[in-house]
Amino acid sequence: MSTNYFNEIILAAPRRVALPIAVYPGLALTGATVRDVVTNPQAQFDALAALEERYHLPFVLAAMDLSAEAEAFGCTVDFSETEVPSVNGRLVTTLEQARRLSVPQPGDRRTAVYLETVLRLQGLPNKPGVLGGCIGPFSLAARLVGVSEAMEMTVTEPELMHTLLEKTTHFLSGYVRAFREAGASGVIMAEPAAGLLSPASLAALSSRYVRQIAEAQEDARFALVLHNCAAKRLHLLAVLETGLKTFHFGAPMEIGSALKEVPADVVLCGNLDPTAVFVQLSPAEITARVNALLAATSDHPNFVLSSGCDLPARTPLASLDTFHAAAGNLFPPAREAKKKEGFHKI
Amino acid sequence: MQDLQSLHTAILSGDAKTAKSVTEQALAAGVEPLKLVQEYMVPAMAEVGRRFECNEYFVPELLLAARAMKGALELIRPLLIASGVQPVGRVAVGTVKGDLHDIGKNLVAAMLEGGGYEVIDLGVNVSPEQFVAAVKDKHVNIVALSALLTTTMPSMKTTIEALKQAGVRDQVKVIIGGAPITQRYADEIGADGFGDSAAGAVGLAKKVMG
Repeated sequence: MSTNYFNEIILAAPRRVALPIAVYPGLALTGATVRDVVTNPQAQFDALAALEERYHLPFVLAAMDLSAEAEAFGCTVDFSETEVPSVNGRLVTTLEQARRLSVPQPGDRRTAVYLETVLRLQGLPNKPGVLGGCIGPFSLAARLVGVSEAMEMTVTEPELMHTLLEKTTHFLSGYVRAFREAGASGVIMAEPAAGLLSPASLAALSSRYVRQIAEAQEDARFALVLHNCAAKRLHLLAVLETGLKTFHFGAPMEIGSALKEVPADVVLCGNLDPTAVFVQLSPAEITARVNALLAATSDHPNFVLSSGCDLPARTPLASLDTFHAAAGNLFPPAREAKKKEGFHKI
Repeated sequence: MQDLQSLHTAILSGDAKTAKSVTEQALAAGVEPLKLVQEYMVPAMAEVGRRFECNEYFVPELLLAARAMKGALELIRPLLIASGVQPVGRVAVGTVKGDLHDIGKNLVAAMLEGGGYEVIDLGVNVSPEQFVAAVKDKHVNIVALSALLTTTMPSMKTTIEALKQAGVRDQVKVIIGGAPITQRYADEIGADGFGDSAAGAVGLAKKVMG
């Protein structure tokens, strides 16, 4: 697979790129609620535009909401003003139900919100790259049968799980294509439930299907970024079986060790804990964590400094400011001061 | 009667049907229920926890082992109660109010049950009042609170406050866990213990109970 748009920018960047998965902290700038962001493309656009204006990053990432696709399949979803929606109950409990399940169309129900947001983000004045967001095939199948139940079914009812996986893969192949048609240069696909499996099961129940989704895309340079916030170092080879070139990992991944194992043209992103670092630590402590991660990855241009998962809405904006400042992202207040000093390379 | 070691093996391999059948046969043959628990079931779940900790087992294997153990335990528990055998401790487990995530809670419940504790699973979206009622009515020694969301973490603090207001805080130990939870947060809200892994739940319970 050739290099994708995302990796081209990262590997050519003169300095370390810092790119947290942050949409919901933007609500502090716009006054909207989480419910607004996941139901109204303009509210999501506004939050992202406010963050983009503040930090001037090379990419904007649409909101991570792992319920929209399940809702499109027919799941019931609970909404909150302060937290991302969650799937309530089980849509599928038997093999027969799995076989009968209809595959929705991209744009059904709230998946339209995400496609429309990406479309609107094309109008941002600085023209950053735009990454859409979607769930991965296994995590979606798990939501359809219940995540806890899905874990057991991977062993006790593999036929049911593969039946669902074929349907989620079919849907996601079209949904990812729809993001590209809406102008996205890539999609970040979240597959957290697969990180709870053994490496062999992850390869069979996730990587194999993610690979199919990637191969169904007509533009090989379209960036499919696989996010797995539960994967550990021992999952790395199984994750690489997707054939993708860009991965985003959570706090459990030993990033320094992983970087030594992947080819130089594979980009890894991660992995500061969203809550334990961004929500709970003081600015001085956040700076120390950023510096430690930068030091541990300094030999690897194929690394993007990021949060290990999406930042919750209650993340203080000051934490995000501190993260960017420590990373050397010179957002407007600092940028003006630094202009006089010339380019600051880290 | 099958070799009793096959009960241990059945739990390890998550074979609920065999675990139940061996237990039925053993009980019918007059094997002491407590012997089955102490010599086969608890060691099997301890081994499951060990394998989980060192990445030989993953969440599916742990849940299946727990299901096998639970099926066998359901046959044994009434006999233990009838003969006056007390569990190691009694724990009320639940995901706090506003939070519907159950996988972490299920894993912790499974490990505690496998460690010889009686587990009262209050489910998800459990209100502080429900935890208070469990302490009062079920006489639990430990309340185990789970949360996955940053926005539901404050429900842990609210629950501890409710236990204080109900005058039962001193009767129980409160342990907490979940993806966003840290030791710092546990200290902040006055919990007695924090666990970052389901496999460590039994050790944590023993530690807080002294």
